[in-house]
Order: sequence, then C-alpha cells, then structure tokens
Amino acid sequence: MTQPKDLMDALSETIVGQHDVVEALLLALLSNGHVLLEGPPGLAKTLACRSLAVALDGEFKRIQFTPDLLPSDIVGTRVFDQRETAFATILGPIFANVVLADEINRAPAKVQSALLEAMQERQVTIGPQTHRLPDPFVVMATMNPLDSEGTYALPVAQMDRFLMKVNVGYPSREQELAILDRFAVADTQPRRAVATLDDVRAWRERAHAVHIDEKLKRYIVELVAITREAEHVKIPAERGAQLPASDFIDYGASPRATLAIAYLSRARAYLDGRDFALPDDVRAVAPHALRHRIGFNYRLTTEGVGADRLIEALVAAVPAP
Amino acid sequence: MKRALTFAALLCWLLRPSTAQAEPLQRLTVTSFTLSADTTKPEQEVPFHLIVALHVRENVPQIDNITLPVMVDVEVLGDERTTQAGPGGTDYRETIAVVAHHSGKIALAPAGLQAIDARDGKAKQYFTNSLALDVAGVSLSGPAAESNPLLDQLGGLVRGLALWAVSVGALIVLVVLLLRRRPAVLAAPAVAVAAPVPVAAPPAARVRSRRDQFGDALTVLQADRNRPTAVRVRGVVWGLIGASDGATLADVLRTPAAGEPRMADVLRALERAAFTYDADLGAAIDGACAALERYLA
Repeated sequence: MTQPKDLMDALSETIVGQHDVVEALLLALLSNGHVLLEGPPGLAKTLACRSLAVALDGEFKRIQFTPDLLPSDIVGTRVFDQRETAFATILGPIFANVVLADEINRAPAKVQSALLEAMQERQVTIGPQTHRLPDPFVVMATMNPLDSEGTYALPVAQMDRFLMKVNVGYPSREQELAILDRFAVADTQPRRAVATLDDVRAWRERAHAVHIDEKLKRYIVELVAITREAEHVKIPAERGAQLPASDFIDYGASPRATLAIAYLSRARAYLDGRDFALPDDVRAVAPHALRHRIGFNYRLTTEGVGADRLIEALVAAVPAP
Repeated sequence: MKRALTFAALLCWLLRPSTAQAEPLQRLTVTSFTLSADTTKPEQEVPFHLIVALHVRENVPQIDNITLPVMVDVEVLGDERTTQAGPGGTDYRETIAVVAHHSGKIALAPAGLQAIDARDGKAKQYFTNSLALDVAGVSLSGPAAESNPLLDQLGGLVRGLALWAVSVGALIVLVVLLLRRRPAVLAAPAVAVAAPVPVAAPPAARVRSRRDQFGDALTVLQADRNRPTAVRVRGVVWGLIGASDGATLADVLRTPAAGEPRMADVLRALERAAFTYDADLGAAIDGACAALERYLA
C-alpha cells in the first residue's frame, strides 16, 4: 500500500518550497480536519490543493468567496423541475474531497457560517433532505492579510473549527529559481494519482491509533494552559522592554486546541513512519493549533512583537518531557 | 551478593533523584574534592571507612549533586554525611562504612560532583581521585587455633553466625538507604562510625570517562528493563552529552556530541523506549541496549 510519505513526495514534485503547506494538508487529511491558510496571493495555495486532489484521485472544487455569495452557492439548492413537476436537488461545490475556500473572509457571516457548519457536521441539509459529504473531505480556506478592506473577519468560534492555521511565507531565492526553472517552460498542472481515497481512510485509522504517552499528554495540556497563564513568560518588545506575554493576550486557547495538538501530533508521527508520538511532534504542531485560537490584543502590533514570536516564546517556556 | 550490590549501587546512581534535571546546579568554587580511606591496610570482613571530602569557598547549607563511587569490590554498610559552613567556606564530609569480603587488591571509582564553576559560570563535572587498596586475608594461624580443634569448630560457627548477622544487617541498611536516598543529613547514622583517620589520597585523579558512564547506563538498562529506568537512562545520556533541560530530540540531535551516527542511534533508540506503547517497550529497550553496545564497541 502507498504510504503518506509517497503522497508527500509526489506533492513536492509539483509544489516548490511550500513544505509547510504540503505537510499541513497531509496532517489535516490524516487527522480528518481542515486548514486555514494565511498568506499573500500567488504562493501556490490553489496548486497545492488541486495537486492533493489529483494525487488522491479525488474530486477538487474551488469556491471564490465574494461579498455577494449566498449559502446556497456553496451547499446547493433545490430547483423546481417543470417536466417532472417536482423539486430536484442541485448539490453545491462543497461536495468534493478537497475544497479550496479562497479568501473566506470576503463573504458575509451567513455564508461563512454555512461552510463552517458543513465542515463540522460533515453533512448538509438542503430542504427536507440531509446529504453526507464525501469522505475524505478536507477544506483549505485562505485569507489574504494584505488586502483587508471590505472583508468580514471570521468570528473566534468559527476559527476554532479549523484544526490548524498555517502562515504561508514567500519562498527563498533558491526556491524561486527552482519555480522559474520548473514552471516557466512547463505546464503547472499536477502529476498523476499516487494513492486512493481508500488508502487515505486506512491511513487515518492508523494515525488515530498512534500512541501518545502520559508524559506527552501532560506536555500538551501544559502548552495550552500556558496560553491562559502567561504572566511569567517575558517577551522582548520595542525599546528593549521585557513585557509579560499575558499583556498581549486577551484570552487563551480552548480545550479544542488540546485535542487538535494531540490529533496533529499523532498524524505527524504517522507521517514520519512511527506508531508513537514524540515531544518533537507536539512542539512542531503546537504553533499551528494555537495560532488562531489565542485572542491577541492590539499591543501585539503596537509593541512590534508578532503572533508567531509570542507563540514561539510560549512553547519554549514549557520544558519538553 | 557482590553482583547484586554492584547493580544496586549502579541503580542508585542512575535512579537517584533527578538532580541534574530537576534541581538547578549549585554555583560553587571547589577547592578540594578527595576520596580516601581510614586505613591503608583493610582486612577481609573487617569494616572500614571511605571518606568523600569536599571543600568549597561558598557558604552553603547543603551540597547537592554528589555522586558516590560505584562500589564493586566492597559491601556498603551505611553512610553518614555532615556539612559545616563557616567563614572559610563549606566542608562536606561523607563517611561510608564498608566491608570487603575478599582479600587482594580492590579499586574504587571516583566520586563525582556536578556544579557550576563560580569562577567562569560554566557547568562542570568534578571527580575525586580513585582509590586502590590491598585487603589482607583473614589469619587462621595462632596459638588458640592450634591448641583445640573443638574450639576451632566453635569459633568457625561463631564467625559464621556473626557474618550472617552482619550480612542481614547490611542488607536491611542497604534497603533503607535505597528507599530513603540521600537525605540532607541522617538524623541517626545507619552504622555508628568512629572518627576516621583519613589516609592521604593518591595524587593522580582518575577522571571517569563518558564511555564508562555509558557502560553503567547499559548495565542498568539491561538489568532493569522498564519504562522509568528507560526514561532515567535517557535523562542521564542527555546530561552526559550536554543537552539542556526541556529540550527535545531534535534539539539534542543538533548538538555536536550527537553528530556521531552511533550516538544519534543511541539517542533515537532511547527516545523510542521512553515514549513508545507498552507492547513495544521490550523491543524498544532491546534496541536501546543494542545501540548502546554499538556505541561502546
């Protein structure tokens, strides 16, 4: 049977320099969760999603979120068939294995809510009928941090439904040269299928069975707890000041973050070919699970700290077992 | 019995309260650190005393992180330690009552101390000198022994009973010591120790190598195959290669000491033994022992 590592290698053939995005997609797939990506346009987010669907021999759909989008444009609707004199159900683009929700913060709250409800319930009700979404089903939603005018910020409760949030950065010069070599003369279409949807379901079961030791469970709980009790963690701010991390946090991460770290740690261990998780797994995935679940306040920007630096300091403050 | 005691001593060292990891190291200026004996000619089955003496310039209420020598050739009967702080610094003295069951030459490994050198602020491991002693055998010649065979037999019986009583007593003391490892000062010493007269310590100090300590770790892991020992051995190995508290395997693998492939294998194998599921623990410990053997080969 194909291994997740093979899938990762196949994706890396198509996507240059976005290792975090590719890994995040696979971790979400193995954990049965969804990914929120934040980064400027043009960083191969769509290509990564489409490549994943092709590599799995699954169906890919892309939804461009706009202010005039309606919930029925996502989940589907019922139309009256005059010939049959009955209502027929037209399923929306959410019925796919890999869904790219592009610029999710450009649609109003009720549309975001329809998508997030479907993500959580893994089913959609249209009229009197409930339709199960395909399995596997992974949503990759993107947000553009540069162009925030006319956007609708995602409510905290909605953000919490994403298993992980990944910040996508620009590639290095070498990676950009590789992109130039690879795509300037060739088609950017993804390659062949390397695994099946059945493989994914089997991987998911195995990833779910990965062992997490008691010491690691306590480590995870401590990592989440420190986001709520961060007074003793000092953060270097502007003008050389050392400020307590709690000054930048309005509220800490929820217990859903604890679960998310555990799921992602298991998935990372399985991706690495192990059937037990290590402290390295926990530490690697913790920022992805915490980033969108901590309520940062305005001082984070005014003091020039940055969310990732703060999370890094919080994670470093908890000794690994 | 000797093997059991050797193992117990090794276990004591490895399973001691996690001083290097849990407690911060003390900042000390070590001026002398010696291991000596109260006699130059100990006799078989006659208790004598080993003395670990430390002087530091600082005034401290207690000395932490002292590792006793591994006692292979003698049986430990008990120990007593005192710490005296004064204007000239602090004197630490640990008197260990021991008995040798065999005659001939015995070697005692050095005692160790982990502390931050107050002079340069660096964490260091200090060692005492090692000690070599010649144990005299039990003398069976003498007028009484020649005069009456019945008395001879009676004397042998009494000696046997006394030896049995001493062994049982020593075992009880050892168990008590293992259960209550290293209190700050023993309120009542396990064995009354007369004021010892230390002999001069040999000048050449034998530094106990990292390899020796890896060997100790292997011995303990082979003998005590369970999760807590695997976790403790992992901590000891990490400490030996200078890994900091709270680091992960990825951090440790980036250190120069882990650059050697066989050492990296040891670290990975111990990580598996510390975190794998119970059904895999036996195989993981086998793997860790094999990796340690390869490293030591």
